[in-house]
Amino acid sequence: MKTKSLRLLAVLAVLVLIGAGFVVGPGVGTLSAIGWGDISLLCPLGALGTMLASKMVIPRAVISLVVAVAAIIILGRAFCAWACPVPVVSKLRDTFKPKNARESKAACGHTKRVSSGEKPGLSGCSSDCASCGQTRSKVDSRHFVLGGALLSAAVFGFPVFCLVCPIGLTFATILLVVRLFGHGDMSWTVILIPALLFAEVVFFRKWCTRICPLGALMGLIGKANKTFRPAIDDTVCIETSKGAQCGKCATVCEVGIDPRHPERGASWGECTKCRDCVDACPVQAITMPIVAPSAAKPSGVLVKEEAGE
Amino acid sequence: MSGTPVDDGTVETDAAADQVEDEHRTGISRRTLCAGFGAAAVLAGLGGVKYLGGAPVVRPPGGQDEDRLLSACIRCQKCYEICPRNVIAPTHIEDGILAMRTPTFDFSASYCDWCAESNGGDPLCAQVCPTEALSLPEGATAENTILGKAVINEDWCLAYRLMGCRFCYDACPYEAMTLDEFNRPHVVEDKCNGCGACESVCVSLQNGSISQGATSRAITVVPSEGL
Repeated sequence: MKTKSLRLLAVLAVLVLIGAGFVVGPGVGTLSAIGWGDISLLCPLGALGTMLASKMVIPRAVISLVVAVAAIIILGRAFCAWACPVPVVSKLRDTFKPKNARESKAACGHTKRVSSGEKPGLSGCSSDCASCGQTRSKVDSRHFVLGGALLSAAVFGFPVFCLVCPIGLTFATILLVVRLFGHGDMSWTVILIPALLFAEVVFFRKWCTRICPLGALMGLIGKANKTFRPAIDDTVCIETSKGAQCGKCATVCEVGIDPRHPERGASWGECTKCRDCVDACPVQAITMPIVAPSAAKPSGVLVKEEAGE
Repeated sequence: MSGTPVDDGTVETDAAADQVEDEHRTGISRRTLCAGFGAAAVLAGLGGVKYLGGAPVVRPPGGQDEDRLLSACIRCQKCYEICPRNVIAPTHIEDGILAMRTPTFDFSASYCDWCAESNGGDPLCAQVCPTEALSLPEGATAENTILGKAVINEDWCLAYRLMGCRFCYDACPYEAMTLDEFNRPHVVEDKCNGCGACESVCVSLQNGSISQGATSRAITVVPSEGL
């Protein structure tokens, strides 16, 4: 099975589990505070926001933050690819498109070329593919949203971003539908909340890459992440073994990392472990080992071992 | 600053060159900066909904400090799920944008017994709340925590049409209701804590007993500060 379908299944499983929780009621919570009974892992942004807003140190929020940071150091932004419902909700926009438009978009891939004016910025880049052209700066609009979210929570005294967080709105929609049918709880909110969610992630296309402050926060913490990083086998990779141009891995990367030339794209901290690059590689040169061997190490270790023997 | 010659012989305009220069120096493009400030402005505007106000709301146990609840609640929805009697419900837009999706009560089918039945009198909602938006002060009990007050609408109440209905009187767990000489119920304000038992059993909205113009049950729990 392709990783894409696996990821979709993982997200749907999360949605079903939490949706079933609303009906059965064991206290699973939502992704804002997932857990069991009175054990909850708070959303790191929510934990920071609520403490800044209420000017209190909340033990469960502090513990959640520590656990979340540890999880992000181990798994990077895997939450974004494997648990967050927003990319799945935003895929609904494809259902509004005619079928052939969807297919052609999938097929086009690696065609956008950089202009000659942009070329000087790409030092040492032999090809003029768009993947090289996407020089992403270290700070982008998401970081401003993150700063704004934390600042407004502190200034206005309530977790402002939680009002519009599409993850929260997704689970609010599920809850409201469950309550509408289960308890006859009728209100304009049942229409308003999904409408807001759709406005954010379906009609506005770039929530994850341009706005999401949670992704930004995870990306910042993820700078410390060294595990599950895509590693390229240089003896197999078309670019290194045959000197040909490829760049497929960089083209498919949703967050703009160039695994072949990491200095060009987004930082590794942004990696969502979606495995799109692993799947896209035409020669299966990319793997995602738990701990990646560093570039120089394998040969060195080998020499030492041989010497020892 | 002069334009920068590029490999195909054209010369970029000064502005474009400046921007490229800016990007190389700060790592931030003007577009990013604009988007960033735009987003920050939107969030600041969103924070302003605090000053729009809203109607007071009946809160679950531990949510009586309204400022604390609003400052800490991240709308995680855990309290709705954990409530064993399913009486905690999200507040709707009709009660204000800021309060929307924060917990309130829906006494249409059951009432709040402080989890006496399922958790020995320790409210599960306050127990599971991860941000302490619902948090009970030391020594808080069902008797001394006022969730709201029951109010009877005499126009809609069957007993006030002398039909002898006394469901609310029978349901009250706190002896907070009395009957007068015509068997009409009255709320004893000092004893009512707003548990909702009376509202949950009121039949005034059911077929055959509904009064003209009634929009809610004849006895409802309202926020105590709204009285």
